[in-house]
Amino acid sequence: MEQHAPQSLPPRPNPSHPGVMAVDITDNFWAAVKTLAPGELVKDGHFTLFESVGALEIMDPKMDSGCLAEGESLDEEYSVTRDLLPEEVLGIMDQLLCLEMAWHQGYPLSQTLLTSVYVEVLTKTHPTTIEEVTFTGSSETEKNLPTLLFALKAYCIGLLKGCDFVNELVKDELYYEEEDFVTNSFGRNILLYDVELRPVNDMLQKARAELRVMNNKPSKDIAMALDIRLELRIAFLRAMELSALRTANPESLKMPWIQMHGLIEHIKKQHSLGKPVPDAFSTKLQRRLASTLPPRPIVYLSFEETHEHFRRLFKDGKEIMDVLKYSDPQSLLTFVSTFQARKPQPLPCIRTLLQNLMFKDNVFLGSYTIRQLIDHDLSIVSLPCATQLDLANDTIEVPTDPRHRTSNEMTIFRQRVEECYLDVFRIFCQNRCRVRRTLCHNIQAWDALQADVEEIDTRLQELLAEKPLQTESGSVGYSLPLSSWAYLYKLRQMEWIVQLGFELSVYQTDELAGMYWYVNYLAKTRAQHGDRIKTFVMRSLTASRASNSYTAAKDREYMRTLSYIRATMLDAACTWEFADGLCCLYTVLNRLGLIKSPPRPYSNDALRYEIRMKPFMTIGLPQLPTFDEFTKATAQPETAVDALLTYAESAVGGAKKGYEALSKMTDGQTFSVGCHGRWLANVKDCLKAAISAGIAVTTLQKTIAKVGDGGELKLKVEMPEAGKGYHDWWIVPKIVPTG
Amino acid sequence: MEVARVTELPGELRYIQYEHVLEEQYLPAIRALISKDLSEPYSIYVYRYFLYQWAHLCYMALNPADNSLIGVIICKLEPHASHSPPTHRGYIAMLAVSSAYRGHGIATSLVKMSIDAMAERNADEIVLETEETNLPAMRLYERLGFLRSKKLHRYYLNGNSAYRLVLLLKPMSLGEEHQSD
Ligand SMILES: CC(C)(COP(=O)(O)OP(=O)(O)OC[C@H]1O[C@@H](n2cnc3c(N)ncnc32)[C@H](O)[C@@H]1OP(=O)(O)O)[C@@H](O)C(=O)NCCC(=O)NCCS
Repeated sequence: MEQHAPQSLPPRPNPSHPGVMAVDITDNFWAAVKTLAPGELVKDGHFTLFESVGALEIMDPKMDSGCLAEGESLDEEYSVTRDLLPEEVLGIMDQLLCLEMAWHQGYPLSQTLLTSVYVEVLTKTHPTTIEEVTFTGSSETEKNLPTLLFALKAYCIGLLKGCDFVNELVKDELYYEEEDFVTNSFGRNILLYDVELRPVNDMLQKARAELRVMNNKPSKDIAMALDIRLELRIAFLRAMELSALRTANPESLKMPWIQMHGLIEHIKKQHSLGKPVPDAFSTKLQRRLASTLPPRPIVYLSFEETHEHFRRLFKDGKEIMDVLKYSDPQSLLTFVSTFQARKPQPLPCIRTLLQNLMFKDNVFLGSYTIRQLIDHDLSIVSLPCATQLDLANDTIEVPTDPRHRTSNEMTIFRQRVEECYLDVFRIFCQNRCRVRRTLCHNIQAWDALQADVEEIDTRLQELLAEKPLQTESGSVGYSLPLSSWAYLYKLRQMEWIVQLGFELSVYQTDELAGMYWYVNYLAKTRAQHGDRIKTFVMRSLTASRASNSYTAAKDREYMRTLSYIRATMLDAACTWEFADGLCCLYTVLNRLGLIKSPPRPYSNDALRYEIRMKPFMTIGLPQLPTFDEFTKATAQPETAVDALLTYAESAVGGAKKGYEALSKMTDGQTFSVGCHGRWLANVKDCLKAAISAGIAVTTLQKTIAKVGDGGELKLKVEMPEAGKGYHDWWIVPKIVPTG
Repeated sequence: MEVARVTELPGELRYIQYEHVLEEQYLPAIRALISKDLSEPYSIYVYRYFLYQWAHLCYMALNPADNSLIGVIICKLEPHASHSPPTHRGYIAMLAVSSAYRGHGIATSLVKMSIDAMAERNADEIVLETEETNLPAMRLYERLGFLRSKKLHRYYLNGNSAYRLVLLLKPMSLGEEHQSD
């Protein structure tokens, strides 16, 4: 079961507060107790599991933070004004760096930075100005701090202020408290929220200057190492400060990140010069926090791990600035999804910074309105050169004018979709487990949205006097561009949910055939839907070309949409072929007994189908196949093993060709502007996975041909370790001979 | 800590249902057994929370030689309301077998007994969480018919993630307002 009590219980009541009236309940207690037999339990109706998990046993040292061992004192006896060797100051700074990273990873301040005696002393008086942040408790004596101690103090303050920026950043965006990150500062101004940035920077610079002129104390190497650590703090603050300037040149916003990326390498090399001071850190400090939590251990990351995480943090910080080089919404989505798919995933502070860059104050990328973003997207996906998106409509004030009414309908549309739409971007900035879970909710919202938007489409088609489309094969109906757009987004999200299921190892091996069948079903639906959109875009294009208002600009817009549809359909085709191939391969492995299903005495296939497909059960379109349809389509009982493998071979081969074709397309054609490298790497990984699937199929075919009907296969199936295959979304088995 | 495994069980184990009168005799052993694999101990209130209300869903495996505790399972069963319509949801809160006695089907027997008890009391489904690295536990549950329904990021205090496992005992009512959390 879940192990944690919440990190943030309410503060203890203050019994000596004038508003609290104490009542002696001893007599009542004794009277009540007499009605009970010894050992009898009474449970209050309001005592929940949550409370039981939060409850502590007094005098149990593992739970009671006030429980002292023989001779132990309640407070830490370490004096922060004691003399430190230069290498000790360096050691403490590096220990703090490790704790800072542990905090970035999601551990609370109480188990990380607040275990430092120095941090505790500096922040215990709730300072609101930098003068009040002291080691000695008096601003007078503080002026005479020895240079090394002053450097340590400046370092701590710079560190805490940097964490304050991060904390505020995270709190502003979508993240999951305690799961991704703990913003709780235990009722104290630990992160120096009220202290201004300017004096912090000044203090850091002053500390560096003092170190330089210090009377020959530390060796040159150590002096340099101390200086670089102070420089890192300055750069970090600069990076955070700059990220608010989203309209600045992204290249200049990258500067401090690039600088830190260099500094951390020096810090790594210098680390061995330092000497750790274990006494300067203690879990006892947790006793002073406004919390009733049991004492929890200090989270130790090794310096090597810390360095590696910081290196990535700084690299990621630099990379996300590229999001500001906006090209189009589809490329933006590719940017976000490929960036977040990286392993290990970027830290919460980077994931929230990315959200912040995109959406802070509802100003998209610092320059655009959300309306511009949505309209731009529509113009690419289903509405090139469309009357619906004509800004001139807004200027018509005659209420009966169709243009005025069109403008109104579009306003209703944008209001209806805005939240769901922006959520798609935000969801991708969550941890991978949450991406999947939240998408499961979001598709419900998109399903409802699609239905609502179709009503807007219907009203608009009347306003715009649209005619249904007739083809040789009959009527295709109306274009429904807005709901078509919504449907495409919904389908993509549904595919992602299943694909993330593979990535997160949610499915058991004998489920893979069925789940790949479902991916294939979804991708095929997406391709068909792309084809439908294309039909209407072509109709519009033909009509537009025939008119005398056709311009080169319009042509570009049409071509961009056709290019988008082409890329979408090719991507969908690759997915459906590859999924089809894997479905057939796994079906064969199931049938030959090379993959064995567990006995599952308490379950049956139909019940498990319900659990598995629960996120899709209520989706109106595409309707979830019934259990019988699903079973038949997956097991394909009428198709012989040979035929299944032949089919798998050609499907996987088709996917391979498709990925090759995709990989040759430009960033503009594939809507991966600004992230083409990452996008291409992803396609190449898919290609490698498809190649290895082809090998698995061939191995199986050859062995079967050699052994003949009914012969023993002498093969076994090796499944790749989670995350160790060519691509997390394409789980490809290895077929290996056994002797 | 490696513990020498017994190659043979000490005869037919006794499986008994927990009752409150057994608290003094067995609760300390239950706590000790379960705490071994936890980074932080549960308070006695957590145990009592479950045992007081659902003693009938808690089973112990005892050594026939001296009646000492070898394995235990602790569950609850109540309406789960964040769904509409609510389901009657069983929950396996804790399961542990003393390391020397693992690999003999003891946990499997305990889980089966509690599933049977919960099914008898009309449970619609049974759920639990287990650490992503706990392969023995996952194999055990999956062998019985549980499916992983989702992964939970950093679910445990030690920073590890978990899987939610679900065993559906009855078909869900059709057309229900779906929820996936
Ligand atoms: C998980 C845990 C409860 C399993 O206990 P266990 O008694 O060893 O479990 P079982 O014996 O029923 O099953 C384990 C293995 O023994 C095998 N086994 C089952 N019945 C058997 C029998 N009669 N004879 C021999 N082996 C048997 C099973 O096939 C299983 O094999 P596998 O490891 O290949 O899957 C135990 O490892 C434990 O206490 N772990 C620590 C606490 C924990 O993780 N709890 C679960 C949290 S949800």
